[in-house]
Amino acid sequence: MRIGHAKESYAADEALLDSPFQWTMLALMIAGLAALPLFGDPYWVYLVCLIAIHVIGATGLNILTGFTGLVSLGHAAFLGVGAYTVAVLEARIGTPFPVNLLAGGLAAAAVGLVVGLPSLRVKGLYLAIATIAASVILHFVFLHWASLTGGPAGLSLPPATLFGVALDTPFALYWLILPVAGVMVLGAANLFRTRVGRAFIAIRDRDISAELIGIPLLKTKLMSFGISSFYAGVAGGLWAYFFRVVTPESFPLIMSIFFLAAIIVGGLGSILGGVLGAVFMTLVPEALKLGVGLLSGVLPDAVAILAPVRTVVFGALIIGFLIFEPLGLAEIWRRFRRLQHLWPFRT
Amino acid sequence: MPTSRHHPGGSAGRAPAPVALVALALLVAGPARAADEIVLGASVPITGVFAFAGVGIHAGIGDYVGLVNQDGGIDGRPVRYVAEDTAYKVDASVAAFNRITSQYEVQLYYGDSTAFSKTMAPELARRGTILMGGDSFASELNDPERFPYHFLSGPDYTEMFGILLRYIADQSPGAKVAFVHSDTEFGRDPIARGTEIAEELGLSVPITIVTAPGSVDVTTEVLRLRRVRPDYTIFHGYVLAPIPEFITQARQMRLRTEFMGTFWSMDNAIVQTMGDAADGFLGVMPYRYYYDESADAPMLAKIREIRPEYQSTAYMQGFVTAMLMIEATRRALATGEPLTGASLKAGLNSIRDFDTGGLIGVPISITGNSVPVGRIYRADAQAGRMVPASDWIVLE
Repeated sequence: MRIGHAKESYAADEALLDSPFQWTMLALMIAGLAALPLFGDPYWVYLVCLIAIHVIGATGLNILTGFTGLVSLGHAAFLGVGAYTVAVLEARIGTPFPVNLLAGGLAAAAVGLVVGLPSLRVKGLYLAIATIAASVILHFVFLHWASLTGGPAGLSLPPATLFGVALDTPFALYWLILPVAGVMVLGAANLFRTRVGRAFIAIRDRDISAELIGIPLLKTKLMSFGISSFYAGVAGGLWAYFFRVVTPESFPLIMSIFFLAAIIVGGLGSILGGVLGAVFMTLVPEALKLGVGLLSGVLPDAVAILAPVRTVVFGALIIGFLIFEPLGLAEIWRRFRRLQHLWPFRT
Repeated sequence: MPTSRHHPGGSAGRAPAPVALVALALLVAGPARAADEIVLGASVPITGVFAFAGVGIHAGIGDYVGLVNQDGGIDGRPVRYVAEDTAYKVDASVAAFNRITSQYEVQLYYGDSTAFSKTMAPELARRGTILMGGDSFASELNDPERFPYHFLSGPDYTEMFGILLRYIADQSPGAKVAFVHSDTEFGRDPIARGTEIAEELGLSVPITIVTAPGSVDVTTEVLRLRRVRPDYTIFHGYVLAPIPEFITQARQMRLRTEFMGTFWSMDNAIVQTMGDAADGFLGVMPYRYYYDESADAPMLAKIREIRPEYQSTAYMQGFVTAMLMIEATRRALATGEPLTGASLKAGLNSIRDFDTGGLIGVPISITGNSVPVGRIYRADAQAGRMVPASDWIVLE
């Protein structure tokens, strides 16, 4: 049971981590993540990198959809803008990777601002369709602006280099991707302790009321689009360095749906939810594959027989979560923590 | 608080302990393996948009590896086939590659999609231990300098066009040929070079039509085609739609043109789903069909023995890819050099006049990254089969 935990100031009340235990757990998690590439096998290093990229993308979409209430199905296209920007800068101009990543984020943010313009007039499903239209247009640009994007064959880019060391393996990129993901998630968590973040939430809860209390709707909605797309652009830039090939088919509509599913499963309007959702959506299919792999010792050709079953199980898990916990994994985590705080007493 | 709210978290706690223990034991023990085994890893799309082919590919590779192991492996060394489903997604394919290569010492790898092959090229160069084949026939991969550890187990898409165009030039010199392709990397692949080859062969390409992949409404495209009245129309970058719609509408408009396709639209089961439109559909195929009972194809008889039901052309593709990989390994081992990407590729490139057991109708030689051989088949709607329309065509 948690006792002796009185807060004496507003700063303490607003703190992201409010107990020594939480700080210890965070330190342990960071130590664990730092040790993983040194002791874990390359498969796990690869997966954690992929999860971190998905976490950035999902956090970005959560800012827009979860916190501001603007549904977007164009998120994958924003990742594409970031990825192409990084690929062009790295392959054609050769600027250093921090500049490229930042440029990727800013380019995506600029495109996001334009795409966000209809959000003042339309919302809900209408906005979702408008963002799909934007993603179709961007896809067309990726495909047909061949002099810049390499057309249907796309662009291959050399690895990022840091002090002359090529970051060409998941092991090397791990030390780039994870810190960036950490900083971006921290940035998002802090955003909602500022006036801007609270304005986003006010718009989500009731945009007319938000306007009445003095929040400029267009500016704030566009800001949300811009920040969300910036996150997508950075995720796309890291994706480009990770896979080192960017083609128009790399960022399909289904990827936008993946991110939307991640934040719904994780918990809309919760930073932890975006993180947990991205982890769930990336890890569960792999875990199910591991299960199928284990069964292949017992059941001959388990891969062929159980692969479709795996897809059904994954779908059923998502539906199960939505039915039993519409508030997502973040709520399950919160409930677990409440239980922990009250143990051994229960309410 | 209602008790039902505890379900998601609570159910894990009730998992039967024996099951968890067995799973843990299996995890800790890892896969049992022989010290000298050759490992063929594979990223196969058993689910997802390419599943129609992935299932066949997986069966084909598995069956050939089974046959090799029945015969005592490669010079006594058993071959282990480890496959994982990718749903035709690059990130899942790379994950499968990483997982399989971290568990086994892999020498051979089957990759799905062009994007995966391109993504893995730098990694293969860095490792220098793996030879990779796959389901992509992209012309871009047919470049031994950029892709030194890759090969294609058939002609690349440009070479497929070359075979089709050579057939056309033989049948009707100076013919007009229309290209219809999807607006994808796959669809655009052979178009530019194909147009040049047509001109070199004295043919003309008066029209190239681009459609969305899988599009349904093609009326305006058929009208454009009708204005040009080509003698031949080659489809590329589709599996099925919009080919049947295109052919049906063109026939209704009394357009007299011969329709042709490339490898992925040539499986017999797929062509026959076109119904009446299928009759007379031509296309290039590097392998014999399952039901071909030619005397010089003993391997097909063996396949029919293993699997009495029809097997797709994707099955043949997987089977032949595994056969070429294992032949390359056998040759690399024979040199006494350690197995590396380079020695395996050298083994592959030493293949001259190799008999595939009749799966490919002529002896093959592999000097670069592809096997530029194919034959034109014609759909016979009455027989419900693709039947040969030409002899085997080998490009130099």
